[in-house]
Amino acid sequence: MKGIVFTEFLEMVEDKFSPELVDRILDTAELPSGGVYTAVGTYDHREMIELVSCLSKETGINCADLLRSFGLYMFERFYILFPQYFKDISSSFEFLERIEGYIHVEVRKLYPEAELPSFACDTSEPGHLSLTYRSTRPFAVLAEGLIRGCVAHYGEAADIEVEDLSGGAGTAARFLLTRRDAPR
Amino acid sequence: MSGIEQLERRLEREKRARKAAEAIAEEKTREIYEANVRLQQLNGRLEELVQQRTVELAAARDEAVRASRAKSDFLANMSHELRTPLNAIIGYSEILLEEAAELGQPALRSDLEKICGAGRHLLGLINDILDLSKIEAGRMEIFPETFVVPGMLAEVQATIEPLVAKNGNRLVVEAAADLAEMRSDLTKVRQTLFNLLSNAAKFTRSGTITLGARRLPAADGDHIEFRVADTGIGMTDEQLRKLFQAFSQADASTARRYGGTGLGLAITRHFCRMLDGEVSVESRPGEGSVFTLVLPARYCEPEAAERAPTGAPGRQGLLLVIDDDRTTRELLEAEFAGRGYRVVQAVGGAEGLRLARQLRPDAITLDIVMPDVDGWSVLRSLKDDPELCRIPVVLVTILGDREMAYALGAAEFVTKPVDPARLADVLARVASAARGEGEVLVVDDDTVTREVLRRTLAKQGWRVTEAADGRECLERLGRGRPAAILLDLMMPAMDGFETLEAIRARAEWRAIPVVVVTAKDLSREETEWLTRHAEAVFQKGAYDRSELIDEVERMMARRVPA
Repeated sequence: MKGIVFTEFLEMVEDKFSPELVDRILDTAELPSGGVYTAVGTYDHREMIELVSCLSKETGINCADLLRSFGLYMFERFYILFPQYFKDISSSFEFLERIEGYIHVEVRKLYPEAELPSFACDTSEPGHLSLTYRSTRPFAVLAEGLIRGCVAHYGEAADIEVEDLSGGAGTAARFLLTRRDAPR
Repeated sequence: MSGIEQLERRLEREKRARKAAEAIAEEKTREIYEANVRLQQLNGRLEELVQQRTVELAAARDEAVRASRAKSDFLANMSHELRTPLNAIIGYSEILLEEAAELGQPALRSDLEKICGAGRHLLGLINDILDLSKIEAGRMEIFPETFVVPGMLAEVQATIEPLVAKNGNRLVVEAAADLAEMRSDLTKVRQTLFNLLSNAAKFTRSGTITLGARRLPAADGDHIEFRVADTGIGMTDEQLRKLFQAFSQADASTARRYGGTGLGLAITRHFCRMLDGEVSVESRPGEGSVFTLVLPARYCEPEAAERAPTGAPGRQGLLLVIDDDRTTRELLEAEFAGRGYRVVQAVGGAEGLRLARQLRPDAITLDIVMPDVDGWSVLRSLKDDPELCRIPVVLVTILGDREMAYALGAAEFVTKPVDPARLADVLARVASAARGEGEVLVVDDDTVTREVLRRTLAKQGWRVTEAADGRECLERLGRGRPAAILLDLMMPAMDGFETLEAIRARAEWRAIPVVVVTAKDLSREETEWLTRHAEAVFQKGAYDRSELIDEVERMMARRVPA
């Protein structure tokens, strides 16, 4: 998993909770990296699971809610850090359609070894978007948070149905987005 | 945990993260460097590959050029092999025709005419194939000349009339009154009209064939339109579409019924386009066809645009005087301006060559002793330049090196002080002589060809001696000097080129006029070499006997006394 997910996660904890909480979870979590992350590095995704579960214990908020919130938070951060990916895009559907064909392509140019999830996209029905997440890692909830963050970013109103495709493992899910103004 | 301790731990984490980031950055930098090195190597390898491929392509091109040359050689040799026996067929049948007439045996006449006609037809087919191969090889050249259109039409009419009459057809010539002159390649225009007319005659029975011509005036240059209309079998749209393609006739059965190679119209169209014109056709099955040929009345040579005339053109043509001596230049200018020539002066060899290239004069007078580039070098440059080698050069010199002048291809020779009248005569190339006063040596390895030539010449009153090859020719010359030599090129033991070289090498033989009689399809180099060394070149089977006789007579008249 790319280091930026870790550095952003810790910043979120610092921001939404406290720097002390960051210290605490880094002390309690069992992390091969020792909790030292740089945005350009790559780290085991299990460290992220460990960090989230430590935060859950500390805060009493369940892991899924934490990851979803992190997704929402991280989308806004992406907008600030990588404005070039948002150029000429005016809606969430437009952005989500371009994850696979554009954003991931650009990411691979910088990090050829990056293991990215796939986002198959279906826009055949007007006002509806079906996005299928598939990964070797169980971060479907994080993906959901990012998708919600995207819809919120463009100030849109859309219903998002989540269909688990991995029997609870969280490695595959279909997100069905329906614009509120779309024909039902 | 104290606040200080906590801060220290955060600081420690940040430090380690920074170092990790730096290590990653270094790693990435090295990767980029290595990728660049690999790219450079790949680039080098690519260049190597490109070079290798270039070498391969050059080899393939050379191979193609060799193959093309082999094809040209094959065609030239084929034409030789075919024309030599044809020469015998046509020549003998003509002689027999004359003899049959003299002996009063009209019964034989029609048979002989058939043999002769078939021979000429076959010759036409061979010439068509050679023409097309020349066109395809880009070796077909244009020789523009000014000619009177009605005169040309009358000539065409006279030649084609027997063919038209054969199928019971009538030929009508409708020539407009304002046709006057045109400047184009006469041979190609004539051949084009023959092609169209003989096609019309072939596909029409008991009908009318009309040859029309008119001038189409235009601000940017007049055109001459020729029209060949027939009342024959006509063509369908589909037949029309394939009409001008080589090796295609209306359909295969046409070839069986009407003969021909199917090359005539392809050649016709090529010729028209070479002459900046176009040929078009309209036809309806069962009603007949109309071919329309539109050619510029003045064909513009590609380089003509660059030629800037510096004055009004003289009636007789443009004469370039190359001489370092001002008095001589002015004398010549006064003399020739008075005779209607436009005269341009060049003060030395270098300027002379420049002006010759720029102005393409009709003739050049050339001094030999000049300070910058001497006359010999100028003459050599002129004769080596395919664009200029046809311009007649008259040496005007105090040196008596006439042999060298001849060897280098001077058309004639005059010495200083100049006799203007003689020089004018030379330029105009007026020649006439009584026939039958000299001996002609015929050199050819082909007995039949020698026999035909001997009988033809004997009929004209010449004494004829024969030689079977170059060596025999030289032996003959050792015994006595003929008035002219008719020389074959392709002979065993010693060929025509070697023979000519040997003749020109001996001072006492050098002035003997040589007419090359060849069945070889000559390359440009060979033609150039021959025009420098021989008086005229005739192709076996392709020459007109009267032309040959005229040429021999002209040479006799110009003969330098031994």
